[in-house]
Amino acid sequence: MVAVKAHELRNKNKAELTKQLDDLKQELASLRVQKITGGARLQKIGATRKAVARVLTVINQTQREQLRLFYKSKKYTPLDLRTKKTRAIRRRLTKVEANKKTVKQQKKLAHFPQRKFAVKA
Amino acid sequence: MAPVAKNKALNAKKAALKGTQGKAQRKVRTTTTFHLPKTLKLARVPKYSRKSIPHAPRMDQYRVIRQPLNTETAMKKLEDDNTLVFLVDVKANKRQIKDAVKKLYDVEAAKINTLIRPDGQKKAYVRLTADADALDVANKIGFI
Repeated sequence: MVAVKAHELRNKNKAELTKQLDDLKQELASLRVQKITGGARLQKIGATRKAVARVLTVINQTQREQLRLFYKSKKYTPLDLRTKKTRAIRRRLTKVEANKKTVKQQKKLAHFPQRKFAVKA
Repeated sequence: MAPVAKNKALNAKKAALKGTQGKAQRKVRTTTTFHLPKTLKLARVPKYSRKSIPHAPRMDQYRVIRQPLNTETAMKKLEDDNTLVFLVDVKANKRQIKDAVKKLYDVEAAKINTLIRPDGQKKAYVRLTADADALDVANKIGFI
């Protein structure tokens, strides 16, 4: 059997991928039956399981990528597409918000910056 | 008297007798218990779906049925009682097993008995309906 490769899978469309997933799962079922009748192709079982995982990964990855593109222009995105980081980090002020200054403060910083002096050697 | 003047006079009389503020009406209560009043219940209109994609069904037929059993007692059940014996996912229930058997092997199950083996796996005895032959199905599956 040809080894299933992820970069080849990415060229397929969704219908083909779901069909391939179904085929792989059926093959896995038949391999398990063969195991008990003494056929014993144990390496193939492992390879098929990983192939199922690869197909599912490609399906989900492309789906989520497409969704991110779709939601890029929208205001609200689904929670699992937002950045995860940590709960505390998500609640912090953004960089822009934290660096905001009043006009008064901006003027002060402009007119009276921290001066540096040096003593001549 | 002119209508405008007459109205003014009548309103003045009413104000003098009844006062200018309205009187609040008290509701008549016929029982001593206060029940929750029925209010408007709006349906949800979410601005965004919480999960981006709904998950594919987790308990599909391939996950439910793991493998058939071909032990001596299982073979006996096959010939005598028209039943197939499967090892099944522990989280599967009889309804899921019935659907899975239907989807995978195209046979109707008359009844299903399940038990959990001492080694932690679930065993399902699937009795087929009279119009299906368990031996044929077993041959088709390939585990005779």
